[in-house]
Order: sequence, then C-alpha cells, then structure tokens
Amino acid sequence: MAKHLLDVTKIFQKLIVTKQIPQPLRIDSPSQIRLFTTTSALQTNFFNKYPASNLWDSITSVSNAGKKRGRAKTISRKNIKDLNKGQVIGVGKANIVWPGLSAPIIRGKELVEQVQLPEDPEREKRLTELRNSMGFHKFAKLSPLERGWSGTKMPGRSLGRPDPIGEETFDDFDTRVLEFKTIVIMKGNFGRKRRMSALVVTGNKKGLAGFAMGKALEGKIALRKAKNRSVQKLMHIKMFNNHTVCHHFFTQFGNTKIYVWQKPEGYGLKCHRGIKTICEVIGIKDLYAKVEGAMNINHIMKAFFLGLIKQKTPEEIAQEKGLHLVEVSKERNYFPKVIASPTECRKAEDIPKNEILDFNQYCFEGKVVLQKKKRPPFYTNLKSYYRHVIKQERLRNQPEVKKNLIAEYGEIRSFLAEKYPECTQYRQPPKTEEETEETV
Amino acid sequence: MANFRQPLKILLLRSRNNLISSRRLLNYTPIYYDGTEDPANIFLNKNVQNLLKSLTRVDYDKIFKRRKLGSKTLTDPEYKFMTDKELQEALAEAQHTAEELLQIPPIVKVRIKERTVLAEDPALQGLEDCRFVFTDITYGLKGTDRTIIVREPDGTLQEAENSVRHRMNQVYFPQESKLLKAPRMFESDYLENLLNRREYEYVLDRACMQFEPDDLDYQRVVSITYQHVNDSASFELLRSTRHFGALSFFLVWNKNIDNLLLDIIETLRIEEARDLVQLYSLMHRIQFEGNTPLEVVQDYIKKAANKKGALELALQAYKELEAKNRSLTRGIERPSRKSLVLLTL
Repeated sequence: MAKHLLDVTKIFQKLIVTKQIPQPLRIDSPSQIRLFTTTSALQTNFFNKYPASNLWDSITSVSNAGKKRGRAKTISRKNIKDLNKGQVIGVGKANIVWPGLSAPIIRGKELVEQVQLPEDPEREKRLTELRNSMGFHKFAKLSPLERGWSGTKMPGRSLGRPDPIGEETFDDFDTRVLEFKTIVIMKGNFGRKRRMSALVVTGNKKGLAGFAMGKALEGKIALRKAKNRSVQKLMHIKMFNNHTVCHHFFTQFGNTKIYVWQKPEGYGLKCHRGIKTICEVIGIKDLYAKVEGAMNINHIMKAFFLGLIKQKTPEEIAQEKGLHLVEVSKERNYFPKVIASPTECRKAEDIPKNEILDFNQYCFEGKVVLQKKKRPPFYTNLKSYYRHVIKQERLRNQPEVKKNLIAEYGEIRSFLAEKYPECTQYRQPPKTEEETEETV
Repeated sequence: MANFRQPLKILLLRSRNNLISSRRLLNYTPIYYDGTEDPANIFLNKNVQNLLKSLTRVDYDKIFKRRKLGSKTLTDPEYKFMTDKELQEALAEAQHTAEELLQIPPIVKVRIKERTVLAEDPALQGLEDCRFVFTDITYGLKGTDRTIIVREPDGTLQEAENSVRHRMNQVYFPQESKLLKAPRMFESDYLENLLNRREYEYVLDRACMQFEPDDLDYQRVVSITYQHVNDSASFELLRSTRHFGALSFFLVWNKNIDNLLLDIIETLRIEEARDLVQLYSLMHRIQFEGNTPLEVVQDYIKKAANKKGALELALQAYKELEAKNRSLTRGIERPSRKSLVLLTL
C-alpha cells in the first residue's frame, strides 16, 4: 500500500504543474447545487439489498408459473422502457469534466482539471428520442379508403388483384379479406402449433367471383395463399340489369339462413358486412339481406354463394312457370313491362289451384318471412308526450310556410313586413375584414 | 336604418308583382289566340284531333318512363305471373291510361274581359283606404261565372280584375294543384333559364296545373315555350307527351311549320309530313294537290313554305335514300329467288 502511494507521488513529481491555480467551483446555478447534495440511505430495503440486474429482471419478466396464473399481464416487450439507456455516469445536465470519472486524469503530459463547459442543448433531446424509440412500435396509419371493417384489423381490407398466372394478369380483380385468425393444433412432438388462417373472396365486379382459405405460419403468406387459390375457383354469378340479384331468394348452409331481397337501383347494400363485401367484389350494387341463425362468417359466405349460384334468370323462371313475367312499378305509372316470356304460355284453365302464383312466395319457396312489427317507443304512452304532441300540432305547417316565404321573398318575414320592415328574421351580419383582423 | 330601407323594399315588392306581365323575354314576344276566330272550333274538330294524335306518336316507353315521385329511393317493383289473356288485358288498360295522359290541353281564345263599372258613388270616397271584394260563394257555380265585385276606395263599384278573381276563387274553392300566387318560375328571368336548360315538359306541365287555358299568363308562357322549342328544333323532347299536339297546332296556326316539317322529313316519315300538311290545309283552307304523300308535301313547299331551299334539299335526300333502299331490297330478293329455283331443280 505504502509502495503504491509512493509510486503515485513519483508520477506527480514528474508532471509539470501549470501555474494557474484552479478556481474553486462556484455554486450559483441550481443544477450545481443538486450535484453537491446527497441522500443518505440509512434504512435497508430491497432497493439497496438486491443488485440492479435482479431488480430489472423482476419488473420486466414473469415466472412461467406466474404467467399461467395470469400474473403481470401488462408486461410485454412493448411496454418495457429502459430509462437508463443513454445515461453515462459522470455525464449530466451540467456539462462538467470530471477527471478520473468522465475524462482521463492525465492527457499527454498534463493533468486534466475539473472544468465546467457550456451546457449542451442537444443532450436532452437525444435522450428523449432514444427513450421514445424503445418498445413502442408505431404502425403506419391507414387511409380511410384502405381500412377494413374495424380499426387496423385485416377483415374487410383489400389485398389487390391475385398474382398473374401465365399471361392472365387479373387486372380488374379485387380481393377482400373476410376472416383472418390464428388457429392452434396439437402435435405429438411439437405440442401446440400455431398457424394463421385467412378466408378471402376475389372477384372482377362483373359477376365473376371465387373464395378460398389459406393457412400458413405467417399471416402474409396465409393471405397470399388464399388470394391465389381463390382466383382458381371462380364462379359465374347471374345478375339482374348488372346491379342486383335476379330475384328474391332464401338460402341456407348449416344453421345459417339468409333471406335476400332484390332491390331497385340506388337502394344500396343493406346487409351483413360480410355479404356487403362479397357483393362489392361480385359487382352487386343493390340488395337487402337478413341473416338468421348462426352468424359464422364462413357459413354466411357459403350460404350466400350457394344462393347466388342457384339463381334463375327471368327467362328461366318464365319458362319453368309457363307464364309471362311482368314488372309493375309505381314510377312507371303501373305499366305492365314484360321482363320475360315463355315459348308457350299456359292458359288459366291449365293452372292447378294449389300452384303458387305469388312471385314473392315463389322466390322464397313458400316460406313466409317473419316481419316483426316495430313497437312504438315507450314515451308515446306518457302524458308529457301527449302534451308535447298537442303543442306541436299548431306548428305542423311551419316548414312549408317557411319554404314558401323564402321562395317568394327570399327571406322569412312577417305579413306585417311591408308596413314595418323590421318584422323579418334577424340574421347576424357578415363580419367585415376589419373586425376579423381586430379579433386576431 | 329601418326608415331608410322601407321605401326601397316596397318599391322592389311592387315591381316584383308586376314582373309577370310587364317585362319581356329577350328574344320572344308572346303570341296569344286573340284573333276574331276562336281556335277551339277547329281544335275540337275530329279530323284535326286525329291528325294531332298521329303527329304526337304514341311511344309507351316514353309515356310510362320512370318518373321521380318525390321519394329518395325508388319503390320496389312488383312482379307478376300473367297468362296471355291477363297480359292483353293489362296492356289494354295501359293503353287507356296512355290515352288519358296524352289528352291535349284545350286550345281556346284568350279571355280578356272588360271590367264593367256597376256604380259610382263619390259620396263613399275616402271612407276607407282599402278595397272591399265581394264574392258570390254559391255552391256549384263555375269559377269563371262567379260574381266577384270590388268597391274601390274612390267609391266606384266594379268587376274584379283577373288576378283578384283567381285569388278569390282559390281562397274559397282551393284547387290542390294551384298556388295562390303564380310560381316565380314563370317570371321571365327564371323562365328563360328553364328554357335554355330545355325543361320544356316541366314548364308546360306546371303551366297547365297553375293556369286556366284561356288565361293570358298561360298563353304567354306556353307560346314563348313553343317558339323556343321550334327555334331549337328539339321536337323530340315533347313527342309522346300531351303537349306535342298543342305545339303542332300552335305552329300550324301561326304558319310556322317549316322546322317541324324538316324534322319529320329528315327522320324519313313522309306519311307524317303529309298529315302535318293536311292539318295546315284544314286550318287555313288551302288545298294541296297530289296523289302520294310525297307529292302533297312537294305542293306545300311550292305554295306555302318559308324555308323552301332547306325543305327541298331534305326532300331530295329522302328521295335518293328511298331509291337506294328500293334497289337494295330488290337486290336481296333476286338471289333468293334464284336459289329457290336451284333448290327446286
């Protein structure tokens, strides 16, 4: 020990000591005050009993047994942030050179002194940047057009056209995801084995569509598999005037039952979101559908496709019935427009009495769709609502009167307005430029 | 502020009320049926009615075209299975409704009634500063026959003017389709806009609903619309509507059928051109001679047409096309006969 000290003194003797007397540190900034204050740890607790590595492990991990019991569910790699990252002992907010700690004691032949350098404004920024980059992975934001049925989930999203096969490029095809989930099976040697399963439907919006399921260890591969398989299983689907289904129909797969109604142009797609997505891919624009029973998307899709394939064209219906199929609509003033005619029409005498002649019943195969009556809201029985209705009755023509006044005078005004010009509806005058500048 | 605004507003209002009759549409002067002869006599003639109907051309697709009925979405169509007999019955019914829909609005002389003064009582002058209107609301009277009298502030008692008559009739015996005041679309600015957008059918339909056929305003709106249609030669927009008969009657009455005739010849309907010329000869009592429709039309062009050059050119083109068609059909027939002969051999 004594020898060691002797060596040190020898080294110091060799060094040339600069004439400048090191100035004592002046304590004037609060950051410097913090440097000199220390907290004494008199009590013992687990913070000073265990090493840092043990403490860090305890908050960033769960034991396997604990995990099975559902402990520490919030702990995941996403949430872990090491706040010590980027911090070096001896380097702090006050940019001070500590020889022996943050700098060497001797540089060349000179003894390094303790110096305060000007503060580094970039340091704080670099630290926060480093902390933010940790753990939290940010997904690219989807544009509203790209979004699926819900949030950033895959179902409902478009995958684009299938990969080309030879010269066929499937330019006008679009693929949409219907289901995307993880599936697990048990293997003898591997135990639980997880895979991704994707159910997609593809179509060219002109009555050609197909669906397929793809499974793979990775989601992307599963989606690609499904997409490319679906285009190999295309079906031709009949449409009425290229905008709706040929007729109303009922269809069933397992316990999933679907009633589908044909609708006029401009009605839109009012149905289950899965059916809506399928319709968009096929090119059906107007339809109403009601799903009864099981709501499994797989079954809904299969039931709907079955129904679509079984459709008959108007010509086939007319031929089967041996009668003219005639459309009558209010907009055409009830003009009987012949949609299809049979080659030979039956006469009234030849039609058996028990034959279904109602078109809707014929379409639903004799099934009668339960249409529940809408119950009036509870408040219609209240006395206060009755009073409200009575009060509102005298205002029932007000909208019409307002419309007529605006048409005639360009404003809402009293019948006295000709004599008293102030009897018109008050309108806030538009703000002039000067006023807006003042407020700014 | 209020006092300052008052006179200006009243002035504006007054001018607005007079707009309908005072201001003139840029290019057109209204033409009324106001001569000595009543057009109703000729219009109601059976031959004339038949000719007008044949000129209208019945196209069911257009008569029963899909119309907007005020609802946001179309109603669900109803499908029916029909036997041949049922279909024939339904079509017959549709034909009947088509006839009703194509009924031509009556063409009558314009009603300009002098306001007869019943009494002048200068003693009542200044008693009141407003007019008193007395209306006979006896049930079953016609709107035109109803006695409606006004006592003026200066004491004279006289028959009401047309606008007051219409208002009182509408107040006591409201007709659903009519508004108390004529809609502003019949004012010249708005009407011009509508005509430039070629909304002829809408304008004419609305005029039929709002006015009586002998009303001055009706004949003003309708005549201006007809002239616009004639100048833009957009006859196709009014074909198969109830207004086409009235339009052709108007054009023939005013000896201005050349545009219409040109349109008909260009679409190769020489029979229809003959009908139009026949209508002209019925109305103006001029005979056009000729055995075939072509000769009759030619005679008309020679005697009465204004646009002789254009019509003759169109007729020449028609003749050439006819000749070509005839040779073509002959050409098609000939080899078929030959082949028949070959087959029999």
